[in-house]
Amino acid sequence: MIRTRARRVSGSMNAAETFPLRGRPALCLVAPAGKAVTSVAPDETVPSAPALARFILVIAAQQDRQAFTWLYRHYAPRLKSFFLRSGLAPNVAEELAQETMLQVWRKAALFDPQKAGAGTWIFTIARNLRIDFLRREKIPSVPDDDLPDEPDGAPNSEAVLLTAEREARVRGALQSLSTEQAAIVHLSFFGEKPHVEIARELGIPLGTVKSRVRLALARLRALLDGEA
Amino acid sequence: MSPHRMRPDAISHHITDATLLRYATGRLPAGPALVVSVHLEGCPACRAKVAAFEAVGGALLDEAPPELMAPDALARLLARIDGDAPAEPQPLRKRPARKRPVNKRPLPDFPGDLRVPSALRACEVGPWRWMGPGMRMSRVDIPGAPGSGAILLRIGPGRSLPEHGHGALELTQVLSGSFSDEMGRYQPGDVSETDEDVDHTPVVDGDGECICLVALEGGMLFRGLMGRLIQPFVRF
Repeated sequence: MIRTRARRVSGSMNAAETFPLRGRPALCLVAPAGKAVTSVAPDETVPSAPALARFILVIAAQQDRQAFTWLYRHYAPRLKSFFLRSGLAPNVAEELAQETMLQVWRKAALFDPQKAGAGTWIFTIARNLRIDFLRREKIPSVPDDDLPDEPDGAPNSEAVLLTAEREARVRGALQSLSTEQAAIVHLSFFGEKPHVEIARELGIPLGTVKSRVRLALARLRALLDGEA
Repeated sequence: MSPHRMRPDAISHHITDATLLRYATGRLPAGPALVVSVHLEGCPACRAKVAAFEAVGGALLDEAPPELMAPDALARLLARIDGDAPAEPQPLRKRPARKRPVNKRPLPDFPGDLRVPSALRACEVGPWRWMGPGMRMSRVDIPGAPGSGAILLRIGPGRSLPEHGHGALELTQVLSGSFSDEMGRYQPGDVSETDEDVDHTPVVDGDGECICLVALEGGMLFRGLMGRLIQPFVRF
């Protein structure tokens, strides 16, 4: 059910419609009042990227618990998986997944679809929470976002589309890496000590890992730059 | 390269992809991560790379195989949300430099032309300490990561940057003045990234003192003569 709604949105990829100004929420994505969302199993359906971004905008605009529930059903289990794979204990992984989703709710107004897609934005929140957890203090990380790339202005539908294209390109690039290069990228995200871990898991000498990482990243960068 | 150092596109020494990836994944220790944050503030090119690597993280998150959450996890979270003050999500990290006077101590005195990066303003920066002729340093404490080992160096014209051991990643971001090594000249906004494979001898250019933010990965900072002088002030 979510899927058909999501398709309809992405089918009409008119930016103004897909990402309306805040305060004009996309009601087509919000279930009618009283709709039993609990009947939707977490992964029966996977919302499209624009739909996920839209959920966050709706949360920001009107604190919509329904949109949040859908977003949660998609991301909380994946966040837990993400934290688990990065080496955290199951109870910590679940707790950080919860904390991440709580931050998503509280910071929804900061989500800027001109800068990042839903998954990317939530990834950065999760990453910062993990850093904070590992530093054992609940102090915000060193500021690394909210940097003005350009003067602030009205929401720019073209920028939103460019961001969406970049996100799609990243996914395509990941799929066209060789198995080993993909493994290197994965291990960079999930391995605690990337080079050492990569050497062990790929069974190659530590000395050669760095050049292979360089090559993998060069290839990834080349793929990402394909548009420029 | 253009001599107009005020323009970000004039930055000629960047951070490597491998280090930017580690930063984007949250795998860089606090000290080097601070230097990267400072560099990113002035470098749109490296910012774009970090954004791309973060998008990779987003893609991996979206593709991650879902793990079962506790049956009541969503209900508990919704209950916590209900406890939140209604709406008005405060922009927690917007413009931290202006809205959060986090410094308990005043910043050490800087030359007038030095624009203190906001990532550095979020830290506690100690006073300048005399380390030797033409050489001062100041310790930088990162919130939540005490003793992470970032320092500011203030070196006089024509002097070498203190000799130190390589063996891991070392990042040196120029905030003011300039220095040169075998790789070229480093001016404000430029960063020098080296590791055990790099043997270089940076020397401050003759036209003025140079202020750098330096961080090393690993347990070693300056050794030899300077080591005896500097170690007491830098905890590892």
